[in-house]
Amino acid sequence: MITILWTRAGFWSRFLVYVLLVAAAVFTIVPFLWAAINSVKTLRETFQIGAFIPFLQFEPTLDSWREVLADPQTSTAFLNSCVISAGTTIFALILGVPAAYSLARYEFPIGSSDITLWFLSQRVLPPAVVLIPFYLLLVYLHLIDTWTGLILCYSTFNLAFVVVIMRDIFRDVSTEIEDAAKVEGATPWQIFWMIALPLSLDGLVVSSVLVFAFTWNEALFASALTSQAATPFSALVLASRSTRGVDFNTAAVNTLIGIVPPVIFYLFVQRYLARGLSFGAVKG
Amino acid sequence: MTSRYDDEKFGGVVREYMRGQISRRQFIVRGAQLGLSAAVLAKLTRPSRAAANLLDSAPEAPYESPITPERVAFLKTKPYKGTTINVMVLKATVGDGLKYHVPHWEEQTGGKVNVAEVPIETLHTQIFSDLSSGLGKYDAYMTGCWFYGDFFVPKDPYIVPLETFLADPKHSYWDPDQWIPSMRKLYSWNGKVYGVLFDGDAQALYYRKDAFSKKENQDKFKAKYNYDLPAPPKTTKEYHDIADFFTGWDWNGDGQNDWGISLHAKVNEQGFFHFLTLSAPFVVSADNKYYFFNPDTMKPLINSEGHVRALEDYVKFLANGPKEEIAWTLGQGWNLFLDGHSATEPTWGDLPTLAQDPKTSRVQGKMGAAPLPGTTEAFNPITGQWKKYELNQVGNTNGGTWHCVISRLSKKQEATYDFLAFMANKKNALFNCTTGWTGVQPGMKFEYFPPVGSGNVAEWKAANPPWNEDDAIEYLKAYYAVLAAPVQQEYLRIPGAAEYWHELDINVSAVLGAQVQPKAALDATAAAWEKITDRYGRDKQKALYQASFA
Amino acid sequence: MAALRVERLEHGGFFKYALLLPAVIWVFAFTFLPLISVIRFSFSSYVMGEGITGFVGFDNYVDVLTSGQFWQSIFVTVVYVIFAVPIELVLGFLAAWLVNLGAPGSRTFRTIIGSPLFTLEVAIGYLGVTFFTDQGGLIAVPLAALGIHVPWMSTAFGGIAGAILLDIWRWTSFIFIIVLAGLSGISSELYDAAVLDAKNHWQVMWHLAVPLAWPVTTIAVLLRTVECLKTFAIPFALTSGGPGTSTQTFSAMDYLTTIQFFDFGKGSAMGIVYLILVSVVIATFFQQMRRRLT
Repeated sequence: MITILWTRAGFWSRFLVYVLLVAAAVFTIVPFLWAAINSVKTLRETFQIGAFIPFLQFEPTLDSWREVLADPQTSTAFLNSCVISAGTTIFALILGVPAAYSLARYEFPIGSSDITLWFLSQRVLPPAVVLIPFYLLLVYLHLIDTWTGLILCYSTFNLAFVVVIMRDIFRDVSTEIEDAAKVEGATPWQIFWMIALPLSLDGLVVSSVLVFAFTWNEALFASALTSQAATPFSALVLASRSTRGVDFNTAAVNTLIGIVPPVIFYLFVQRYLARGLSFGAVKG
Repeated sequence: MTSRYDDEKFGGVVREYMRGQISRRQFIVRGAQLGLSAAVLAKLTRPSRAAANLLDSAPEAPYESPITPERVAFLKTKPYKGTTINVMVLKATVGDGLKYHVPHWEEQTGGKVNVAEVPIETLHTQIFSDLSSGLGKYDAYMTGCWFYGDFFVPKDPYIVPLETFLADPKHSYWDPDQWIPSMRKLYSWNGKVYGVLFDGDAQALYYRKDAFSKKENQDKFKAKYNYDLPAPPKTTKEYHDIADFFTGWDWNGDGQNDWGISLHAKVNEQGFFHFLTLSAPFVVSADNKYYFFNPDTMKPLINSEGHVRALEDYVKFLANGPKEEIAWTLGQGWNLFLDGHSATEPTWGDLPTLAQDPKTSRVQGKMGAAPLPGTTEAFNPITGQWKKYELNQVGNTNGGTWHCVISRLSKKQEATYDFLAFMANKKNALFNCTTGWTGVQPGMKFEYFPPVGSGNVAEWKAANPPWNEDDAIEYLKAYYAVLAAPVQQEYLRIPGAAEYWHELDINVSAVLGAQVQPKAALDATAAAWEKITDRYGRDKQKALYQASFA
Repeated sequence: MAALRVERLEHGGFFKYALLLPAVIWVFAFTFLPLISVIRFSFSSYVMGEGITGFVGFDNYVDVLTSGQFWQSIFVTVVYVIFAVPIELVLGFLAAWLVNLGAPGSRTFRTIIGSPLFTLEVAIGYLGVTFFTDQGGLIAVPLAALGIHVPWMSTAFGGIAGAILLDIWRWTSFIFIIVLAGLSGISSELYDAAVLDAKNHWQVMWHLAVPLAWPVTTIAVLLRTVECLKTFAIPFALTSGGPGTSTQTFSAMDYLTTIQFFDFGKGSAMGIVYLILVSVVIATFFQQMRRRLT
């Protein structure tokens, strides 16, 4: 973060900044609040005109919370989602970060930007098209409805994020320190592992957060490639649409509880982001 | 039969037998005493159903009634100990109904049931991915009736017929002969039963008895339309007047303007069933049972004059409900009625069932029910002629009629059947159709009240939440009339039915969104249908279409 | 210097492949066969239960390219992207800039503003229905009270506008998080110097932060565009593509064709056509950013 602009700013500038920040925060929070309000309504009340304020305009009930939390499927799906998202994140980082570094530092017979593009192209094809071949592949590998199966798919498609973002981050890391280390006789691996990587922690954090969030959010593959044991939370939420339409009160509960694990992950890795920055700014 | 006396006596025996009060053997014995040959009697009763002495209940089977002695003996061995069966069901409503019975069956038989719940959006995909990839992870699938054709695409169909299981008295007792014929059709293919009783869907008209019988409203109606307020409306024209009459003013006295009809018409949901049902009497009649295709050529009939007029008519209904109905899902449509803001709703039997729950409804005890209105003129798309009728009312079985079928790939077909039959047993079947959250409607005669069935309103009043007696009687009377109507709208059960319906759905929705004219929309539907037919193979489709009538 | 460079290339010669190849092989292994099978399907007629029933040449492609629904879905998708992505870019960048100023409490704002990224799109789509319905919707009812009746749920315009609003809420956080990482990487000494020269706050932003954060912003926009072109969950949960097919995005159409109706032939052809179209867009986009990426 930069502080000099802030410390030098006058009262009105500071005031304006806060007004804008608060506006952004309110814009962000209102849907969550609305979800919270909907979550304590009965199904009938979710479509009642003038049921905005609990207690005043309608009698809140925790029924839909009970319904969701008491369902053993919810906890199973939560566990599945956490394992799958974490597994995908780790796997995508292990594969993607070295590749990104390599693409940022070295020359290849094929342009390194073309290779990057190729990685990215894996995300261009609409998921519905590749879903069927993947389904057949997983049947063949006996991985339908398993954590491994989904982690395998998700790492393949999310690798692009890691490669594209990390390549960019590595390119911004000054090579001066690396060159200095080289003179000291460090091996390329040591340079990558002990210098480039720590200097790129913020990028690492961002890519892991993105991979985690995207995996957490994915529902199409999730609902086609699992049917029970490994069904993640996203697929469960998709399933809140039944023959009778959507239960908007339980859907609201899902909206709220669904955000908890990834936000915890976000806060957790943010601490590392701060630590990463304490290495000192490196850009310029 | 030799005398009138015997006649009556025989009638009594038949009644007892039909109600399951005496066994088949007893029936034959007592019939023979009345002078009928045992051979004739045996022919009268279905030999495939080996119902011996039915007991009312047995300590081994607290969840079954009636029950065969063979079943009792079988249960004593805890026959399915160590057996786990996998069943794929619809997530939420109907699947919950199935899940409810799982622990009971497990307790009685020692088996285990593993239930995978799949949302309606992906159910079709999940079932046929599991089958066509050869994975065969599931022993049974809960299916909507429009999936049936897809099961019969391969030479060796994906699902198995139930004859041999039905004949074995060691399984839980249920009798396919109790089905109302239109329902039985949906559970069968080429005359063989493939599905085990669960749900039974049809659409009927539900209306606010209280509002219709209010003197003030009746007077107002008569003043405006020059005839007595018809309760229920018999023709589409009357229905339009009623929908129009109850729209735009506060007839329930809560300060908000109310509506004449509640529909839900969001695309890719189940709104097109409204169109199917409401349009039926414009095309289907005593002279023509074909609604979708010409059975000889597989040419679509969907853009016939009758269909076009029906669609023009359907659009008018939408004007008598909230404007955003065209983006509503089923629950939203019901909600308007249950909340007391709509005078009528043409929909499934879930509505009166949900009306019994004070948590979701304000209309308990106010439910009127009737078959859907008919027309006085119908178009025969085969001959291309309009014809006048006194009143052309058409029954339907539109909906999912969700139930389970057994996978050919299953290695535990018998145990699977045992579980499914358990839920079809009278005691459990009654529980399902009297309880709102199961989403199950009655399709068997024993679920209806005399004279058509052997049910009892006490069973409905004992449900949780308990039924209002009048509501139950009204509902079952109308529902039976729909299912047993002499003129029935056929149900589309050929491969790709979902896709055909989808094309109709999006085109009808485009008309509702005022994007195209009815005629153009139905022409587009027909063109899309031709393509689908060609993809699946015209001759094959034709054969299966004809078979689905058998 | 020259000697060093040669040595580095030698090391890099093996080392660079050791780093790169696992990822390449992995992706290749899991996408090559699927891609081949998609291409094969696109030239076949397929029926669930029977498999491929014959090769039909370019029939599927002709079908797709002459289908009004296909072009309509492309149009809907393009409109969606054209409105959603630029607004998300501007809002996301501004928010990142503000948070990056380091005002007390910034950390809290960062968490709040970034949080929509962690919501489930499907759930947001469902929640959206309760914003826009006339039956007690949080947005529709107050607007109606002010005399503004937007047909959110019953028209194509309303449906797309509603979906775009939800998309902006959900995805601005994506741009925000990436750009913030870029901004926070800029050395504070650079600001110290810039502040002395600049007349005001905005000048610093325009002349220092924007150019320095531009590369990472480009990446963010690129990734967002690629994702947005596939948009599915939010509009589909909100409108199901209706009325008719007037709000059906490409992904929704492809999903219905391929997954719901098992028409692998047409669905695959659709996917290939789309892949080509998007590649052209991305390549053009890259042309602009070429300097950065080579």
